Parts: sequence; structure tokens; C-alpha cells
Amino acid sequence: MPSLLNVRGLTKRFAGLVALSDVSFELERGEILGLIGPNGAGKTTLINMISGTLSATDGDVTFDGCDLKRLPAYRRARLGIGRTFQIMRPFPGLSVLDNVAVGALFGTGGGDHNLPRARGVASEKLEFVGLAHRASQRAEALGGPDRKRLELAKALAMNPRMLLLDEVMAGLNLVEIEAVIAMIKKVRDQGVSILVIEHVMKAIRSLSDRLLVLHHGEKIAEGAPEQVLRDPQVVEAYLGRRRA
Amino acid sequence: MAAAPWIASPSLIQFGISTLLLATLAQSWNIIGGYAGYASFGNSVFYGLGSYGTAIAMVQWHLPFGVGLALGAVLAVAFAVVLGLPVLRLRGHYFAICTLALAEVMIAIVSNVDIAGRNTGLVLPLLRGDALFYEMAFGLLVLTTLAVLWIARSRFGYGLMSIRENEEAAAVLGVDTTLYKVLAFALSGFFAALAGGIHAYWITFLDPVSAFDIGLNVKMIIMAVFGGPGSILGPVVGAFLLSGISEVLSTEISNLAGLFFGVVIVIAVVFMPRGLADLGRRFKQFGWHYFAENVRVHRL
Amino acid sequence: MSLLWQVVVNGILLGGLYALMALGLALVWGVLNIVNLAHGALIMLGAYVCYYLFTGLSIDPFVALPLTMLALFAFGYLLQRYLLNLVIRAPMFNTLLITFGIDVVLTYLAQIAFSADFRTINPTYAGDNFALFGAAVPVVRLLAFAVALALTIILWLFLARTRLGRAIRATAQNLIAARLYGVEPRRVYALTFGLGAALAGAAGGLYGVVSQVNPYIGTSLTAKSFAIAIIGGLESPLGVIAGGLFLGIVESLTALYIGPTYADVASFGILVLVLIVRPTGLLRRTT
Repeated sequence: MPSLLNVRGLTKRFAGLVALSDVSFELERGEILGLIGPNGAGKTTLINMISGTLSATDGDVTFDGCDLKRLPAYRRARLGIGRTFQIMRPFPGLSVLDNVAVGALFGTGGGDHNLPRARGVASEKLEFVGLAHRASQRAEALGGPDRKRLELAKALAMNPRMLLLDEVMAGLNLVEIEAVIAMIKKVRDQGVSILVIEHVMKAIRSLSDRLLVLHHGEKIAEGAPEQVLRDPQVVEAYLGRRRA
Repeated sequence: MAAAPWIASPSLIQFGISTLLLATLAQSWNIIGGYAGYASFGNSVFYGLGSYGTAIAMVQWHLPFGVGLALGAVLAVAFAVVLGLPVLRLRGHYFAICTLALAEVMIAIVSNVDIAGRNTGLVLPLLRGDALFYEMAFGLLVLTTLAVLWIARSRFGYGLMSIRENEEAAAVLGVDTTLYKVLAFALSGFFAALAGGIHAYWITFLDPVSAFDIGLNVKMIIMAVFGGPGSILGPVVGAFLLSGISEVLSTEISNLAGLFFGVVIVIAVVFMPRGLADLGRRFKQFGWHYFAENVRVHRL
Repeated sequence: MSLLWQVVVNGILLGGLYALMALGLALVWGVLNIVNLAHGALIMLGAYVCYYLFTGLSIDPFVALPLTMLALFAFGYLLQRYLLNLVIRAPMFNTLLITFGIDVVLTYLAQIAFSADFRTINPTYAGDNFALFGAAVPVVRLLAFAVALALTIILWLFLARTRLGRAIRATAQNLIAARLYGVEPRRVYALTFGLGAALAGAAGGLYGVVSQVNPYIGTSLTAKSFAIAIIGGLESPLGVIAGGLFLGIVESLTALYIGPTYADVASFGILVLVLIVRPTGLLRRTT
């Protein structure tokens, strides 16, 4: 079966700075691919380019056979690409339930046009992430970990086929991390392919089927977690940073 | 309320018509400013286009009022779509300023167009009977409010609100932000234009400066914001309340009315920035702390 | 040909004053991210302060300028410190509204205090001209131009070279980092706003000499200042000069070749175009 996401030679240049250089990889259906690398390696930039938030300078992204090149972010979302933001982007003035409902109303395939049904889906997702008790609160009243859950719930409500998670575990304690890992695995079991950016090593190791390592915008390793984490290049990238 | 024209005095009816039209304007602004979060300082343009569309149709082409209204509305919507596409790409301050500049430009352009009667303006045929205009204005307000009610409970409305709250997040959830913004702008312009058309026919005289009155922008925004942007009845309540108080003050000292508006805005922005609607909702929960809380959260 | 030259000279002189008007607005906008809709009212107040110093104490307007600036600085500082700071972390629309409210209040207070009559500041040399390559240059306009230019350059030097100026720029770029360096934001914000008000006051005083003043000139001056600030870009005072000169010349030429009523159309039309095509202004430093 062909891979779900196919990235070829993806490059991003800002004036005077190369954020991403010739990155290629594939995401298989039903796979959890972990994306790691030191700060500034270009991980979020990569996700931004897949979701359409940022345009690519060069290279191709194909999702389920569809060339994403000229598609704006909302069309990619409707194809089934969901994502969370590292710096969270809730809808502060809306209730937690309504936040998630937007995802259900507009997600894959254009979402559900029926508002009560969408709110029902939103309720389910809030149950799933453990936020049901805050459904009627304003999103801006939520604290850090709850906001992460909200981000996840919104993306899930879209009924995505691929989920791009950007550091959903930052700032969580061990118990919360375990809970999130379990959630992500359950999502994968429901048929969603996942690309996860994470810094928490223990989590990414137990979660990922494969790992992809970025450093200074380039791919330096790809493969099974244990093998990648022993790769000397990877170790050097994390422990002994070269000055740019 | 609909029965008012038959029991109230003529001057009260006139006040009623003015206020109903202003409330419609505030409500129409609510769609683009309150729900979509794009604070347009140029909705007076739609009002003026509605006025002139109606006037030109009736005066130059001798068409009936209904057709004139429709023409004005079509003009406004076309304008909203054509200009909305580039201008709605601007965010925040820039959007506000651009719409303000557009409003200024329109006055100057219309002053130089022959069919619009240039600077001297147009005189419309006279229709006696304020009661009729009152009912029209009332009907329009009801229509506009029903539209807002529908928006608030629809997928479209949720899309608009998500744009207001965080446009980038809305886009990655699948909201076609450009389409929705333009639709909101066009809808807003549609109702403003109808209000303009009714107003033109009512006062029977039209000139560029008063039709595209920049001061209207200010009034409609203050009324909508004071009443509660993004709420269903807020702008209406705001319009009636502020108009009423301003009218009372006007009869005392006219300067004072203007001063009053200014002070109200300043105090309201500091202590109740989300308007009366929000105050009403949360006062039960917070009591007087509501005001202090608003300051605490927003001060440096 | 000489008519064209006269018009261009008029445009340049006007442009200098325009630049000064826009300078305070651009400064406050760039540093505090406040779009001050009351800016024109501050200009108007400056004009009146200068006017009363001239008619009441017989102080030459150009000499009264520093006093005017001081008065407006104090007013602006207090306004920012005790009122605007209360809403500064709210959505930007709130500051837009509050400055609008302040504009209304100042306008009506001015009308009550000064009446709606037009006033002009008329020093004895008001009518003098001198010739510049065939164009008649009113002395007051030339002086106003010179002062405007001087103040702009002083501001630029202040921001670039002094400690306080650097603190202001740092606060504009990164509030948190600036705090870590010991900058106290409330003070810097109030100082910056005061500075903006002082510049507006100076522009007002000069405006009072070259043109007529009444309480209602504020709104259109604010709009004009926007146009200049945006067209010239908010990056640097020098950009604002360029914007002011550009607009001054454009307006003069438009008035001559198309018609006086079109001068405003030209300005605002260009503003709209610039916003749509390049919101950061016509002068863009390559980032």
C-alpha cells in the first residue's frame, strides 16, 4: 500500500536563513512517526509546511496521492490533515465545547453541517481527552495542561486521517504524560496516522514506530527508535552542539 | 413597539425612525465587527451606496422605491465583494484604517460624479407619512436581528467567530477564512445599504457629505460595542440606550451630548469592554468585581 | 514652468509639516502599538496653547514652541500613565476605541473652552515672502519646515544614540527582554506617549501659524497623519519625512492639475493602495 504522506526534497528558505534543507521521508498508514531534534532544527517549520501554514520554497508534499503544493491551509485540513500548535491557539472567547465544535463543523471533507450533531461529536472528544467537566468554561480560563488537551480535542474533532502533533507533552508531569501517550495510541488504533514532535525522550521512544531526526534543517537519521538513538550523529547533535 | 406610530407624538416617531435605522446600522456592523472580529470603520460607505442607489434609481431613472432599494443593496454587496477581497487581507489596525480611508475617498469621489448630483446632491420624491417609514425601519431592524440570530446559531457563525478568536487556528481546522470574511462583509453591507435607502427616501434630500457621514461609523461602532459585540441583542439595546440619553442631553446643552458620548466610551472601554451583554451575563456571577477584574486583566 | 515649481515648493513645505504631524503618531504606534485616534486633537491642543502664549503673553510662536511641547508632553505622559495603561493589554480594538473617546472629549472640551471660532497665530512677519528661484516662499512656512525637519532629526538621533532612546526601541521590540534589562515599561510607555504628544504639540503650534485652527481640525489631521505614517512606514523617523514630503507634493500637484477637491482623494486613495499592496509602507528595508 502506498504511503499516506510523501515528502520529497522539502526546503524552506527565509531571507538569509535556510530553515529546512532537502528533507525527504514517508509516513505509512497507521504509523506513528516521531520527529526529534535539538531546538531550532526545523521540526515545527516542517509541520507548518505540511499543514499549509507556511509555504515551501522547494520540494513536494503528497498526501494520499494529492499534491499539496498550491492548496491553502483550509483545503489541506479538509483533506484530513489535522494539527496542534506548539504555542497553543485556542479560541479564547468561546466555550471549550464550542472550541472543539469548530473542528467538527469544518474538518475532513468539509465537516458536519449540522450544528447539534457537531456539538455532540465535540462532547465525545472532550470525554476522550478528559476535559468534559470544563465543557462550558471559556477557553481562556484554562490552564496549561488543559489547553494542551483542548488542542488535541479540536484536532480530533476534525476526524483527521493524519495528525501532526507539535509538542503536546511539554510541561506535563509523568502521570499526565502517560495519559497522553495512551490517548495517542488509542487514536492510532482508530486508524489515524500520526507525526509527533516531542522533546520528552521517554515518551517519544515508547510511542513511536519509527523516528526521524532533524538537525540544522537537515535529516540526519531515520529508522527504528533504538537504532536511531544510538546513532553517533544523533548523539552528537544533542550533546555536542556545533556553533552555526 | 410596532404599534408606536399610532400613539406617539410626531417628534417621538421621528426619533424612533432615526434610532431604528441607527440600530440597524449597529446590528449590521455587528456581523463584520462583532462576529467576524474585523472592525470596519467604513460601513458608512454601504449606507451611502444604499442611499445613492435608491436616489439615483428614483430621481434619474424614475423607478419605484422597491427597485431603488434593491439597486442600492446590489451596489453595496458588489462593493463589499470587490473591495473586500483585497482589504480583508489586512489585519487589526490596518484594516480599520483602510476602511476609514475608503470612507473618506468615497465622499470625494461621489462629490464629483454627475449622475449623483455632484456636490449639490439629489432631491427625492416626497412620500408623506412618517408612520410608513417607521414601520419600514422597524421591519428592517427585525430582519437584520433575525439574520444575526441565525448567524449566531449556524455553522457560518461558528466559522466567523473562530476567525475572530484566532484566524490561523480557524484555517487549519478547515475554515475557508477568505470566503467567510467576504460573506460577512457583504451581509453587513447589505443591511447597511437598506437602511441608507430608507433614510434617503425619508429625508428626501441627499448630498455626499451627509450620505457618507463618517460620524455614522463612530456611532454604530460605539452602539454595537457598548451593547455587546458578538451578541444578538446587544447592538440594539446599545443603540436605543445611547440614542435616548443623547437625545435627552441634546435638549439641554448640545455640546454636552457629544461630551457624554466620549466619556461613556472611555469609561466603558476600561470597565466593561465586552459591552452590556457580557455585563448582564456575568454580573450575577461576579458582582461589582466584574469591573475591577476587567481592569486588572488589561492593565500594564 | 514656474507655476509647477511654485506648486512643488508648496508641496515640500507642506510635506515637512505633515511629516512632523505624523511623527508622534508613528512613534506611539511603533513602540506602544497604540493607534492614537486622538492624535489630531493633541495637535489641535498644541495649536491653542501656542495661540494663547502668543496672544496672552506676547511670546513669539517659534519661541513658544518648546513651552508648548513641554505642556503637551506632561499631558500625554499623565494620559498614558493613568488612563491608557489601563487598557494596554486588552485587544487592540479597545485602545482604538478609548483613544477615539478621548478625541471626542478633547474636541468638545476645546469647543466649550475656546469656542468654535477660527484662530490664526499672526506674528508680525506673517505676511513676508522671499523668492526662491522664482517661487514665492512665505517666511513662516519656511521656518515651520525648518523646525519640523530639525525636530525629526533630533528625534531620530535621540532614538538611535541616547540610552533612553535605546530603551524605548528595546521596549518596542521585546517587552519581556527589555524588562530583564531593567527597563520599567510603565515609565517608558508614558515617556514615549508624552514624546509623541510633544511632537503633536509642536506640529500644532506650527500649524497655527501657517493655517487656521478650530476645535474640529483634529479628525482630518489624524486621518492625514495615518496616511503619512503608513505610506512612509513605521520603521524610522526618516521614513516619515519621506512619507510627508511625498504626500505634500502629491496633494499640491493634484490640487493644481486635477482640482482642489481631489487633493484628499489622492492622499487617501494612495493610502488604500499602499495598504492593499504593501502594508509596511513604500520605504521598506529588506528584512
